[in-house]
Amino acid sequence: MHLRKETISIQERLGEYCRTGVKLELPGVTPGRIHHYRRLISNVVNDTLHTAFPITVAALGEHQWELLVQDFFADGIPQTPQVWKLPFEFYQYHAGRETGKRIGKPFLDDLLYFEWMEIEIHTMPDRPFPDFVTEGELFNDRLVFNPEHEIIQLSFPVHTHPVREAIELEGEHYALLYRMPESGHVQFLNLSALNIYIITRLQEEKVTLNEIKNEIARVAGIESGRYLDEALQKFLGDLMERKLILGFTRN
Amino acid sequence: MEGKVGLGLRRDIAEEILDSRILTPDFLEFAPENWMGMGGAWKRVMDRAVESFPITCHGLSLSLGSPEELDWQFIRELKSFLDENRVTIFSEHLSYTKSRNAHLYDLLPIPFRRDAIDHVVDRIRRVQDLLERPLAIENVSYYTPVAAEMTEAEFVNEIVERADCKLLLDVNNVYVNAFNHRYDAKEFIGALPLERVAYIHMAGHEQVEPDLIIDTHGQPIIDPVYDLFEWTIQKMDPVPVLLERDFNFEDLEQIQGELTQIKGILNRHWEVTHASA
Ligand SMILES: [Fe+2]
Repeated sequence: MHLRKETISIQERLGEYCRTGVKLELPGVTPGRIHHYRRLISNVVNDTLHTAFPITVAALGEHQWELLVQDFFADGIPQTPQVWKLPFEFYQYHAGRETGKRIGKPFLDDLLYFEWMEIEIHTMPDRPFPDFVTEGELFNDRLVFNPEHEIIQLSFPVHTHPVREAIELEGEHYALLYRMPESGHVQFLNLSALNIYIITRLQEEKVTLNEIKNEIARVAGIESGRYLDEALQKFLGDLMERKLILGFTRN
Repeated sequence: MEGKVGLGLRRDIAEEILDSRILTPDFLEFAPENWMGMGGAWKRVMDRAVESFPITCHGLSLSLGSPEELDWQFIRELKSFLDENRVTIFSEHLSYTKSRNAHLYDLLPIPFRRDAIDHVVDRIRRVQDLLERPLAIENVSYYTPVAAEMTEAEFVNEIVERADCKLLLDVNNVYVNAFNHRYDAKEFIGALPLERVAYIHMAGHEQVEPDLIIDTHGQPIIDPVYDLFEWTIQKMDPVPVLLERDFNFEDLEQIQGELTQIKGILNRHWEVTHASA
């Protein structure tokens, strides 16, 4: 290390001031100028987080939101060199400290997570698309899913309801977020636990619908028969229309 | 690339540039941090850009001046990105953006001190070795010196010479610094090793106080900066020149006008551009 202790300390104190805003004396500075660094840096962090979490900002109000940002920037240590990934660290920081509970906003984790996942799905690296054909039989052929999707579990349905309503509906909620193949736009589906079970089974085990129909009926606690067939036809046909199911494996 | 005029590829104007509607730069500059590891729609935009234009990259987060160790994992990823996208010039700032392992996402001024020179020289050399390409180091704008023991010109000169790297000369930054710290811009540029300049930046700025200019990249270039640019390029060999514009994209004709004006000045003094275009 070539740097003297004194130089290191000067550099670190300037950095600390920029994050915390706690006033400091530094040698050899032009009076009235240092605060511009804190202002410029705060603008970058504020703008990035504000843009990433519009629903959370609206749900908390600007004042409470700003306190959350201040806490994070002063106390959390931004680790990513890529500022567009900072919203994920913001989510992790507040989830890890149970900020939502502390400030009486129990939906906070879910909302930050959901808003981050929209960014994540939009920007995540491309995943290899499997081969598929568009003609096939829903029940007898193996289905090919769009690989660019993630399933998340939430305690409050912030993806389907305004926050003031979602707060009354604590439970097990699932959302599936995925990227549209051509446009890259992010879509999401609100799914039941049974829906998730079906999707997971069809993908992971590489089975056809016919092969797991009875199993689905058992899990759902209903009879296997025309009613179930119709429901599956409707559900999976809909996923196909929405491009979550791309088509069928080549036989 | 010598004598070519480029523009920064920002999300807001990406489609516009790729469809060559109003903006017609010769090459594009990316901040790698804003595009690395991305898939989906933005990856497609980037791929189109790389197919259609020569690419330079301008890094944001190496933090060459920080006390803490360089982020080698990141630098390895950066190297892959530069290789994959056939990047011709890679530049970084002579500043620090990381403190106590926290990223700050802006450019803090390194103290102009001898120990800082030794430190930065060593780091530039190691980064160049790993990237297997020369680094062009940019003179940054700063709003106050911090604990300086020498002038900015002495600091920059010694680093560039001893690290044996290239220089990215940001003409607007020289203008901003000369104004903010009351020195003579031409004298400063005259003292630089101009034979090491590989790349030039031009940009607009904003005066926020009677004695303070902030380097915003949001406004049109002002005439004194064009003048300083014209004075400078007569003293050096042709290199690529980039217009930095980060926001305020309402008037694209005006931005294209800036590209044209820069090119006009280049063509008056640098022969090489006539044949191509
Ligand atoms: Fe620049």
